[in-house]
Amino acid sequence: MRTAGQSRLSLASVALGVVLLVAGSYWGLARAPPEIFMGDVQRIMYVHVPTAWNAMLALVFAFVCALMFLFTNDWKWDNRLEAAIEMGVVLSILLCTQGAIWAKPTWGVWWDWDPRLTTTAVQVFAFGGILALRAFAADPMKRAVWSAVACIVAFADVPIVYFSVKWWNSLHQAQSTPDTVSSAFHWPLRINAIGILFLWTGLVALRARLGALRLRGELAPPDGGPPLVTR
Amino acid sequence: MRGVIEGGWEFVIAAYAVTAAVLGLYASSILLRLRTERQRAMKQVP
Repeated sequence: MRTAGQSRLSLASVALGVVLLVAGSYWGLARAPPEIFMGDVQRIMYVHVPTAWNAMLALVFAFVCALMFLFTNDWKWDNRLEAAIEMGVVLSILLCTQGAIWAKPTWGVWWDWDPRLTTTAVQVFAFGGILALRAFAADPMKRAVWSAVACIVAFADVPIVYFSVKWWNSLHQAQSTPDTVSSAFHWPLRINAIGILFLWTGLVALRARLGALRLRGELAPPDGGPPLVTR
Repeated sequence: MRGVIEGGWEFVIAAYAVTAAVLGLYASSILLRLRTERQRAMKQVP
């Protein structure tokens, strides 16, 4: 009963996220004015920037899950860790794709080995590598410990991604603040950011549930008796 | 040459389409995998 309620809550979160994302995108595409230099191409920012914020949040959550698993040995944190890393990788790949589509008309190239882009590529491969590691490790405990440790190591890149535009001379623009962005652009950015937040939290909860079911199958005794892990 | 990007709606549409496709496909994959795993777990219950 508790599981069914949690699943419904997760689905409601996903649905709310979709509604907000549609509303924010409509505002950004149809109601917000074009930017003075980038024109209509700037409208890509209403999905690119919220994706970037949420990719980082998902990976911060993965880092917290990794620490919690190592401290508590509770399987629910391993399930959440796997879900958050998968979400973080999906959002990071999406972020790079949106960025490339924006870069072509503004920079003239799809990709440049600039510090922000390079560190983001490292982020994709580092966390994608952890998912690959998990796929190869058959023993659930080794898989959980190795991926938690690897996540803590890979997480070192996340603040580097964030500060790369401040630390190095970058083609990518520095972080914007409400003071440096016209108020006409605020709401589509905020609505889409909150929409993606609801979307990924709901999806991570569902993905963690999937991980828990798989783990229960892995840890079940071969004679068909009760599973050793019920979380 | 005015230093202003003109047009570019095809890039905007591409970015939003990619976003919808990636998030939609990932959400669908989770729901499908979850359903499959639930059916497998139900079969294991004696």
